[in-house]
Amino acid sequence: MTLWFLRGLRRGVVTTRYPARPDDSAADLPTPPVFRAEDLDQALADRLVAVCPSHALRRDADALVFDVGACTACGRCQEAAPGAVTSSGEFELAATSRGHLVKRIPLRREARA
Amino acid sequence: MTAVQPGASGTLASLIGAISGASLAETGSTVTVKVPAAELEGAVHHLAAAGARLADLFAAGQDPTVLRLVWALDAERQYLVMQSDVSGQEYPPLSDVAPAAFAEECEIYEQFGIRPASGKPLNRVALPPHAGPDFPRLGHQPPQAPAEIHAPHTVGGHAFEFPFGPVRQVGVESLYYGLVTSGEEIVDLYLFTWHKHRGLEWRLRGQAPRDALFHVERTEGLSAIAVSWAFAAAVEAALGVAPPPAAQRTRAVALELERLYNHAAATAALCQATGLTVGQSAAEIALERLLRLNAAAFGHRYLFGVMDVGGVRRAPEEAALRAGLRGARSELRRAADALASTNSFLDRLEAAGIVTGEQARRLGLVGPVARAAGLAIDARKDQPAQPYLEFPPAVAIRGSGDVLARFQVMQDEAAESVRLIGDLLDAGAGAGTASLPGAGGSGLGWAESSRGEALAWVALDADGRISRARLRPASVRNWRGFDDACRSQNVFTDIPIIEASFWLTVAGTAR
Repeated sequence: MTLWFLRGLRRGVVTTRYPARPDDSAADLPTPPVFRAEDLDQALADRLVAVCPSHALRRDADALVFDVGACTACGRCQEAAPGAVTSSGEFELAATSRGHLVKRIPLRREARA
Repeated sequence: MTAVQPGASGTLASLIGAISGASLAETGSTVTVKVPAAELEGAVHHLAAAGARLADLFAAGQDPTVLRLVWALDAERQYLVMQSDVSGQEYPPLSDVAPAAFAEECEIYEQFGIRPASGKPLNRVALPPHAGPDFPRLGHQPPQAPAEIHAPHTVGGHAFEFPFGPVRQVGVESLYYGLVTSGEEIVDLYLFTWHKHRGLEWRLRGQAPRDALFHVERTEGLSAIAVSWAFAAAVEAALGVAPPPAAQRTRAVALELERLYNHAAATAALCQATGLTVGQSAAEIALERLLRLNAAAFGHRYLFGVMDVGGVRRAPEEAALRAGLRGARSELRRAADALASTNSFLDRLEAAGIVTGEQARRLGLVGPVARAAGLAIDARKDQPAQPYLEFPPAVAIRGSGDVLARFQVMQDEAAESVRLIGDLLDAGAGAGTASLPGAGGSGLGWAESSRGEALAWVALDADGRISRARLRPASVRNWRGFDDACRSQNVFTDIPIIEASFWLTVAGTAR
C-alpha cells in the first residue's frame, strides 16, 4: 500500500495499466462473433437470426443488426455458418454508450450461389 | 441420468400393490402409477411410512390438472412417479403426511390455482405480489392471493423483526431475509425468493428440446451441467434414446468439475463469512484455477454449451485437463488443510447451523446438507446410471449436521471428484450425440449436482416439442432447511456462515 502511494505521488498516476500483463487464459474464453459481410445474404442472415437464443441478432432490411450487449457468446451462429461467422477473440466490451454495442452489417444484395 | 433397470418387481411391486386403486401406467426407465385423487392421501402415507423419499411434487395441464409426485426409492434404486387427476379446485392435503410437500403445494396454488383441501394458509413462494391475471403462469390464477403470513409483521414480547434484503452486498443474489430476533439470537427467519422469478418453465413450453437447453443450463448457472443433464436425460427417457458411452463419460467429467469448483467457492465463502481473508484468498486462487481449467477443458468457465440432448457437444481437452487438475486440486487441498487446523475457523463452524438427520429426512433435503446430517443419499449411488454404474463414487458422510460437517463432506467429495475424473478420462471421454426421433412421450431425468439431487420431468407433444417441463434443481429442496438451520440457537453473525455451507442459489429456486 505504501509503495503504491509513493509511486502515485512520484508519477502522478494512481492506477495501473490494464491489463497489467497479458492473461493467457483469456484465449480459452468464448467471445462474441464477427461476421464476414461478403458471405452474408438475406437468407443466411435470417437463418442466423433464427438460431440466436438471446435475440442478439435481427435483420433490418438489407442489414444484419448485431447487439453485442445481448450476445452470450454461445457459439450457435458459428455452428450454423462456420465460414461466415468466426469468434472475435474480443471480450473487452466496455463502451461509453449502449448504442456503441450495436453494429450494422450490410448484406449482399444478391444471394450467394 | 436415466436408469437402466426398469420394471416393477419385488418390493416395488408390493408397495404399489398395497396402494388402493393404483394402476401401473408405465414401466419404462421410471415406473409410473396412476392413483385416484380420493386415494392419494392414503398412498402418500403408505409410501412415506415405507421409507420412500418424496423428491418432488408438481402439476401439469388444466381441467383436469394432473398432480405428479416423484418418489425416490433409494434402497430399490428406482424412482416412482405417482400421478393423479384433480378435477376440482382442491386435492387431498399431502404435506400433512409428507411435510416435504408444503413448498410445492404453495407453488402449485400460485401457478395452477388448486390447493390442498385442508384450508391451511399457503405462502407466496414463486410469483411476485403484482402477478395479476395476465401474468405468465402455467395454469389458472388462484381465486385468492397467497397468504402473506410471512409479510413483515409486528412481533410480540421483546422480539422484533429486522428486515434484510432483497438487495444485499455486491455479487450476492437478491434474497429477502425476515429476521425475528430478541437482540442477537435468531428467534425466527423467513425468506422471500420470488424477487427473481423468471418463468423459465413457462418459457420452455413449445420449444424443441435442443433449443430449450439454452434456458435450461441458465436455470441455475452454477449447476449448468447437473440441471441440463437431468433435463437431457428426461428427454432421452421420453424418446427412448441413450447417449454414446464416451459422451456419458464426458458428462460425468464435466459434472465432477462442476462439483469441484462449487466446493472451492463454498470454501472461499466460508472463509469470507468467518473473516479469514488469507484463507479466502487461498480458496479463491484454487477456485480461479478450477474455472480456468473448465475453460481450457470445455471452452467455458461455467461449462455452458457442453451438454446436448442425446449426448455432448464437445469432448474435453484431455491434456489440458490432466495437466491442470492436479495443481488446482493441490491448491484447494492446501487451503482446506490449513483451515482444518485453524481454531478460529473451526470454532465458528462447529455446532453452527445444525440440521439433524430427522429434519433432513422430514424436509426432503439432499446433497452435502443431508449427507452431513447422516443421510447417505447420493443419486450417483442410489439411482445409478451410466457412467456411474461403472465408476461408482465413494459417498462422503458425517453425522453432526453442523457447518463443520458440511465443510468436511465437501472436501471429501472434492478429492473423490478428482479421482473420478482421472478414471473417466482413462476410460475415454469423447463427443457424440444420439439421433433423436421426432416423437412424443414423457420421462424423468436426474443428476447429482454439487448441491444434491437435481430432477427434471419433461413431456413432449407428438411433434417432439415441450408441452411441460418441470425443473427441480437441488436448491429448491434445500432452501426449506435453511431457516431450520438458522433457528437452532444461532446468532446473526452465524447466518452468512450457514448460508455459505448450504451453498445454494436463489436462481435455482426462483426459476
